[in-house]
Amino acid sequence: MITPIEPVTTSRRVWRSREGLLVIPELLFYVIIYLYPLSRIGAWSFFDHGFTLKFYRELMGESEYYRALANTLEISLLTTALCLLLGYPLAYLMATTALRARRVLMILVLIPFWTSILVRTFAWIVILGNNGLLNKLLIGLGLTDAPVKLLFNMTGVQIGMVHVLLPFMVFPLLAAMSRIDSNILHVARSLGASPRRAFVHVFLPLSRPGIAAGCVLVFLLAVGFYVTPALLGGPGQITFATMIDMQINTFLNWGLAASLGVVLLVVVGGIFAVFSRLLNVGQWEREA
Amino acid sequence: MNLRRTEPGRVLLWLVCGALILFLVAPIVVVMITSFNASPYMDFPPRQLSLRWYQNFFTSAHWLEPALLSLQVALVVTAAATTLGTLAAIGIVRGRFRGRQALEMFFISPMVVPIVVLALGLFFLSSSAHLLDKPPALYLGHTLVATPLVIVLVGAGLRAADASLELAARSLGASYWRTLRHVTLPSIRESIAAAAIFSFLVSFDEVVIAIFVGGPDATTLPKRMWETIRFEIDPTLTAVSSVLTLVAIVVLVAAELLRRPAR
Repeated sequence: MITPIEPVTTSRRVWRSREGLLVIPELLFYVIIYLYPLSRIGAWSFFDHGFTLKFYRELMGESEYYRALANTLEISLLTTALCLLLGYPLAYLMATTALRARRVLMILVLIPFWTSILVRTFAWIVILGNNGLLNKLLIGLGLTDAPVKLLFNMTGVQIGMVHVLLPFMVFPLLAAMSRIDSNILHVARSLGASPRRAFVHVFLPLSRPGIAAGCVLVFLLAVGFYVTPALLGGPGQITFATMIDMQINTFLNWGLAASLGVVLLVVVGGIFAVFSRLLNVGQWEREA
Repeated sequence: MNLRRTEPGRVLLWLVCGALILFLVAPIVVVMITSFNASPYMDFPPRQLSLRWYQNFFTSAHWLEPALLSLQVALVVTAAATTLGTLAAIGIVRGRFRGRQALEMFFISPMVVPIVVLALGLFFLSSSAHLLDKPPALYLGHTLVATPLVIVLVGAGLRAADASLELAARSLGASYWRTLRHVTLPSIRESIAAAAIFSFLVSFDEVVIAIFVGGPDATTLPKRMWETIRFEIDPTLTAVSSVLTLVAIVVLVAAELLRRPAR
């Protein structure tokens, strides 16, 4: 079909296809620095002077690896649940308050979000230690005689992880809540619904995409989390991530580290493949 | 939603959220205040004030050398990640080829791969390329972590920018490269600057890759902090922490100022 604007559409197609060439440098970089190293992990896990499954057999055979897997899942599930429980009210307030208050709250969430994880983890060591601020406060108030053990156990890990991952729950929740048309709530109220009823039957179901995205994101990040469990946890909080570090830097068992890495990658990749549609990367980035 | 402004539930909500904000911000504030201690016991509140930990940070090679290495790595990474990421974002958003969406997912995917796994892969790569304990291993690793962020930010900027301006430039006879340089890039200047700023911060604060590929000859500031926290807690950490927090705040404010005129 010939139309008067045909020359324009043709030139546009050429122009667009040439823009596509700009992805090539990044693609090359990813092949060498991302895909090739990941394939090296696979190779180390399956080869030792020829093909072998011994590293995986070792993983399956010894109970310490099951314990590490159980620890990882326990920590991640608990962190996700706590982040949802705490993040929901915060996101709800931000979504329903005046613009100026919302902006202030956002800045107060973003400052810790962009502060180094090491700084925040170290801060918790200062606060939660036996002579730390919190224990001094508890003893001063007469709530306890001896210092409560808050570090190098599950409590420390949970406090540290929730502190780091809470914003990752708040942003997707806020994005979903901001898309809810407030008129729908006004209608529910004017039709006689109590505030609680309007919340439970209207707002909560409409915010479900944010709940799903936030939980998947937090769980995904928690499963691979390294710094906080390593610094705030004790021997009972050895996770897959800290195990990989121990195999490389302490036991020098590269093959076993690689097989742990493969398992971790498969778990995370599986979760991502199943739930990636819920995540909508970039959506909440813009809202933030 | 002003309907519920005066209700008691609303007051409770503010109280809960106030506590949550306190939980998020207080640790950082406590460390900053602790850093002005005169005693080495990290008292809070400090009984006597001094700047000795800051002096220690800025005068001892033990801390200063890692800080300078981190700065150097972060600058290289900012340049590399911003260039690679911006080009890739333009290619994906303005280009027209099959599998663009899949490619974008692939480019963003390092964000969800556990950093320990990335670090392990980079460790194997660096050991076979004889790059262990050398700064180039850090340049490469941190660039990989920073580019997805650049693609997300610049991609969002491009989608918000008016593509018809570029089409107009092309139909008025501007060459492909001329359009890119004089129309496309200026229209996403703010996004690119924000992406550069955040890349800097991501690299400057990165610790896991630094632990895996760095060694005694390539110790970044976060790696030095990590070792210090693990093996011999030193009050200088409080001063380092408050300096890093200040850097983060400055970066955040700069990025916010850059984003505002765009709206």
